[in-house]
Amino acid sequence: MKLRIFLICIMIIFLAETSALIWYGNSNTESALNAVEVNEAVKTVLKDWDNLRNHHNSTTLDYVVLDNDGSPVFATKRGLCESINAAIVHRDTILDLEKDGRVYGKIIIYNDSPKTLLENQKKYAAVPILAAALQCICLVIYTLYLNHRILKPFARLKAFAERVAGGNLDLPLTMDRDNIFGAFTESFDLMRSELQKARLAEARANAGKKELAAKLSHDIRTPVASIKAASEVGAAVAENEKSRQNYTHIIRKADQINTLVTNLLSATLEELQQLTVKPSDMQSGEISEMLTDADYFHYARIPSVPDCLIYADKLRLQQVFDNIFSNSYKYADTEINVDISLHETFLCIRIEDLGGGVPDEEIPFLKEKFKRGQNAGNVEGAGLGLYISDCFMREMGGALIMENGSRGLMAVVRIPLSGTI
Amino acid sequence: MKEILIKTERLSKSFSNGGAMQHVLKNIDLELYKGDFTVIMGASGAGKSTLLYALSGMDTPTLGKITFGKTVISDLDSDGLALFRKKHCGFVFQQIYLIDSMSILDNVLAAGLLVSKDKKALVARAEKLFAAVDIPGETIGKFPTQISGGEAQRAGIVRALINSPEILFADEPTGALNSRSGLDVLNTFTECSRQGQSIVMVTHDMRSALRGNRIVYLKDGIIMGECHLGEYCPNEEARHKKLSGFLTEMGW
Amino acid sequence: MSGNFNRNKLLTLANIRKAKGQTITIIVLVLLSSIMMNLWLMLSMDYQKNFERCHDRLNDGHVNIAACAIDDSFPAFLSDTLKEHPAITEFTVNDALCAPFSFRYNGGEISQLGVLLEKDDALSRNVGKFEITEDSAQKSGIYLPMLYGTGNNYAAGDTITITLGGRELEYTVCGFFNSAMIGSHNCGMVAFLLTEDKFRELSETGGVLRSAYVSARIDDISECEKISADLKNEITGTCPDVTVTGNDYKMITTARYISQMICAGILSAMAFLVLLIGVVVIASNIANYIQENMQNLGVLKAIGYTGGQLVAALLAQFTGITAAAAVIGSALSYCFFPGINEMMIAQTGIPYAVRLQPLPILFTVVFISGIVSMSVYFSTGKIRKIEPITAIRQGISTHNFRKNHIPLEKSSLPLNAALAMKTMLGGLKQNLTICVTMLVISLILVFAVTSFRNTVLDIQPMIEMVAGEYADALINISPERETELISILQEDDRVEKFYLFMNNNLEVQHVGGLSLFAAVTDDCSKMNNQNMIIEGRFPKYDNEFAVAAKYAMDNNIEIGSEMLLAVGNSEEKYLVSGFTQCSNNLGKDCLMTREGYEKLSSLSGVIYYINLKEGADIDDFNSALSEQFGSDVNAVQNIRSIIESTGGVYVLLMNFLVIAIVIISCIIIVFVMYLLVRTVLNRKKRDYGILKALGFTTGQLILQTAMSFMPSLTLSAAVGILLSMQVINPLLSIFLSGIGIVKCTYSIPVKLCVVAGIMLVLFAFWSACLMSRRIRKIAPGRLLTGE
Repeated sequence: MKLRIFLICIMIIFLAETSALIWYGNSNTESALNAVEVNEAVKTVLKDWDNLRNHHNSTTLDYVVLDNDGSPVFATKRGLCESINAAIVHRDTILDLEKDGRVYGKIIIYNDSPKTLLENQKKYAAVPILAAALQCICLVIYTLYLNHRILKPFARLKAFAERVAGGNLDLPLTMDRDNIFGAFTESFDLMRSELQKARLAEARANAGKKELAAKLSHDIRTPVASIKAASEVGAAVAENEKSRQNYTHIIRKADQINTLVTNLLSATLEELQQLTVKPSDMQSGEISEMLTDADYFHYARIPSVPDCLIYADKLRLQQVFDNIFSNSYKYADTEINVDISLHETFLCIRIEDLGGGVPDEEIPFLKEKFKRGQNAGNVEGAGLGLYISDCFMREMGGALIMENGSRGLMAVVRIPLSGTI
Repeated sequence: MKEILIKTERLSKSFSNGGAMQHVLKNIDLELYKGDFTVIMGASGAGKSTLLYALSGMDTPTLGKITFGKTVISDLDSDGLALFRKKHCGFVFQQIYLIDSMSILDNVLAAGLLVSKDKKALVARAEKLFAAVDIPGETIGKFPTQISGGEAQRAGIVRALINSPEILFADEPTGALNSRSGLDVLNTFTECSRQGQSIVMVTHDMRSALRGNRIVYLKDGIIMGECHLGEYCPNEEARHKKLSGFLTEMGW
Repeated sequence: MSGNFNRNKLLTLANIRKAKGQTITIIVLVLLSSIMMNLWLMLSMDYQKNFERCHDRLNDGHVNIAACAIDDSFPAFLSDTLKEHPAITEFTVNDALCAPFSFRYNGGEISQLGVLLEKDDALSRNVGKFEITEDSAQKSGIYLPMLYGTGNNYAAGDTITITLGGRELEYTVCGFFNSAMIGSHNCGMVAFLLTEDKFRELSETGGVLRSAYVSARIDDISECEKISADLKNEITGTCPDVTVTGNDYKMITTARYISQMICAGILSAMAFLVLLIGVVVIASNIANYIQENMQNLGVLKAIGYTGGQLVAALLAQFTGITAAAAVIGSALSYCFFPGINEMMIAQTGIPYAVRLQPLPILFTVVFISGIVSMSVYFSTGKIRKIEPITAIRQGISTHNFRKNHIPLEKSSLPLNAALAMKTMLGGLKQNLTICVTMLVISLILVFAVTSFRNTVLDIQPMIEMVAGEYADALINISPERETELISILQEDDRVEKFYLFMNNNLEVQHVGGLSLFAAVTDDCSKMNNQNMIIEGRFPKYDNEFAVAAKYAMDNNIEIGSEMLLAVGNSEEKYLVSGFTQCSNNLGKDCLMTREGYEKLSSLSGVIYYINLKEGADIDDFNSALSEQFGSDVNAVQNIRSIIESTGGVYVLLMNFLVIAIVIISCIIIVFVMYLLVRTVLNRKKRDYGILKALGFTTGQLILQTAMSFMPSLTLSAAVGILLSMQVINPLLSIFLSGIGIVKCTYSIPVKLCVVAGIMLVLFAFWSACLMSRRIRKIAPGRLLTGE
């Protein structure tokens, strides 16, 4: 990539040189006479004809003015051709000084092109020399660059390859700045590290296989040993009543274990399906939403919940709150006070109505199955709500406590904080 | 009683992971003391790094409060946190995180010049620190990709220390290193600790943990327990036993 | 095949989704470019055609001549001449009244040779019809060319005060008419239609010249200039008393579309420049995309995509977006077209109905899509070279040992600046994009500022270029009273200077070439516009003259060449002393000394240009002069006021252009900056995360990002402004060469340019800051999730 840029640069320099040369060759070759200046010279001389001594040359040309006799009457400087003949030899321009049909004399415009030509030639010579020098410098720089960027890295690569061949895979291939073979050397180094890795992996795989074999043989040895022992007993007392009893015994015990395991499994499955409580971590902020949801009559003002992470089953907790609020609606139907406080290991939510509470002796039975308070009257209900809620809370590791507050029945819900159980 | 440097109250951090909330830290109450070399241990995914980044003001906790001295850093906005970090904290990362486009020295100075305008003093301090962590003078002009991992990590420590932070946070500083360079880095940490630098280091490597004088064990976002080891001296059998006992107890 | 298509569609959509901002940027750039390109094409392709349509509809002449001061025998002679001329196919001759006129227009005065025709005569012409575009119930009055009904100049029912041959006359405006060849002051003469009673009244009162107005159609339109010159020569050769004014098809087509040409030129230049920025943006984005997605591309290759398929996906993505945007842009250009059309009509004076043109749209869409596809194709070359294994294993080539550009311990820069420098030196492609964008925008800006300076702030440079010579007032007087006038002017202390300057369409025939309009002066050194000669010098002697640079260029004439000129039957050789330039006669004119012209012909009237001292009232001065000389005065004019009125159109156009340019530049900068910042942020996300962890605030990082653009921004803006100030004149010359301006001589407002440059840089910096606000979203905590 960089090489390409370098080559392009060289090409550009070369093209620039060539075009400079060509341009130089083509320019400055024009040595034509400036017709406008000649006209000006003629016109000014004619204007000043009567007083040529005070004539002032307003052009860049040099000229000599001759009268009709051919003798010079004015010259812009010495050393110009002062006769027609000399002018012809020098290839000067000779013009008539003519005005209104009358010829006053002649004007000889000096030809200075030989001088300009010489100057130009000198200039041309300098350009190729300069160009050649520039090319030389470029080449020298390029050679140095090649040496630095290609030859040296190759030498280093050779040493590296020898080392790898000798089995030394630990030494990485150092790369220097601006290395033109960066990717190349890197792949060499990659090869080395891959080789090293492959060796390591091979060793590790061997070790792993041995380990597995040892473990398996240990695991299998135990049941094999007991089977062996049982068959030894069977072989020792073969063909009599006792051995048959032993065999029966083994079969019975096996049956028993089988039944036990099946029972155990089915029992737990059943229970799990009925009332699963799956607590997980949740942000305490969600409590406030749940309370608002439960209090659909808006009897309570829900206070802000202290920030913490609690451990609860969102679905079941919502059921608990729903139950508590609907109980309050059913039996008290008053305003509800909600108070939330944070304790060492749990979040405590107190929900109290203004219904005056229940007789103290009923308090212990509130949470029992199928028990209903005296004031239940003809309000619908099965007496299961608080029992289930209590179960849920216990499953979550929290608690549901019913007590008489100062103004009514109070339900205290304790939700454990995450990380405390 | 040691002076409390950082205190957290019911610190929790949750990430939303495709709709489901994932709670990485749960109600952490932790006090970090001045001059301690506290090591936070735990299995991967226990929330060690999250705790570290929350403690250091790199990340804001979801719930809870973190107090540094008298500042409640959990209430700061992102620019406030940036100012807090540059004033009080130094960081060493597992991936080292030197900026590839800057030389080693520039990496250090980029952090230093944030706080101090005295370039000369800063360069002098940087050179002293480099010498202290055994990075030779000719290396500090190199780029991170040109030096070994161990050197890079030690340079990372220099960067962390350049502003004389009150507390140095290290996240698995030896995690990406081979054991030889890891040892160098650990020795550097021990040396810093000896000189009274408060350090909090996250690791799940027992060899690294041995260097600390207080081990905090984290499991599933909860502090399961802690263990005080006392000042480090090399090759102490009892220390090793105590730690491994503690870790076994924690279910390591 | 369809599987192929679906796969590519999948990739394309994925790319677009990932780079919404980039897509929007490209869409905006393409939109801008296509709007301007379509406008340009519509202007340049259909406006000229519209003229041709109008010309055909009116069956107008290719050569039109007004022969003034004729006698009774002239019409017969004229008819014979026209009939005998082999090239002329049909013609119509009408009686007319001619006189120089002037009236108020655009807040100034308009003045030219007026050709007054009788309305019914004019409407029934076979060749060179007139059509009434707006009529009213007025039965007696004047019909004006429709150009003067635009803006809020004149409306039907208004009373117009018109000075005809030195007399003020009042007419009621009955309506407006359209004429292709004689309907605007850019035509060399202006027609007016008078109702019959007014026409009779005017011809009886005198003060106007009895004339004939000829419109002739010819076989070969390309010959029109030559035939026009032939005819004029024939007339003046036979009847030396008759003065002839005329125009031809070629001259009118250019003259009536000067602003449209300039506007189209500017639009095309801007369209190409914006497209250039678009292409650079796309190319740099693709390079970036490849670098960022090296691994993904490697994976795609590994699972079996060929390099060609990946390139095809990118091609489909960019070309599809571009083509859609170009179509929308072309459609949008129709929203702007009516506005531009209105401005154009105010100059051309020919009605134009906006209509759907499929060809420009097609060209715009195909061209822009083609250019974009090409740039995409070339910049995706790298994809074909990706080796899947290397790409997957190492992603971006890892062995980049960068130089430590700015060692922090040595640099004396503030921390943020030093870090910004590091960012800048890390991303060279960005710098390239910035450079190109800034160079282009500074060129556009310098153009806007220069145009603003030379038209709106001070209109003189434009006048010098477009109108040639100017002064405060002129008086056209019969030659007998010239000496008297000179002595009066010498004594008047209000007069600063005065000189003879004839520019009333004196024609000289370049033997072997075209006929040229000669301006004649007695003293070139007194002329106000010393910039009129762009090469060589003013003519000094009776055998020298200066010729229009454009004509010289077209005919290979050099300074020092000799040219044979003729008026009537007399011929004389002249030396070319210099090249003049002004657009008045569209590059077909020359400047002669009085002695030089008088070798060919005598002057029938003399015109003196007069400069008054500051504070003197031009109108007062003029009325005093015309009173003093009475009927010998052919015309007096307040040149200042004429300049103001004709320049008004250009001022309006320039104001519009400057505003449009500023808005477009801002849009481009904002979007390019957005792209660049996005690229930097993607590249430096990790670094910025680390820096944030170290305690850098968002503000500091925003500043760093924005500052990383500043060096290349400032440098390229500075270089761009400097360079543009150098090239703006030659560049404008290219645009204006069509109207005879070969060397633009706008004065360049250095201070204004510098201020504009500074504003440009500040704006770019500000938008970079604005765009960098995304840094806020980079959270240091992300570092740990990147484990």
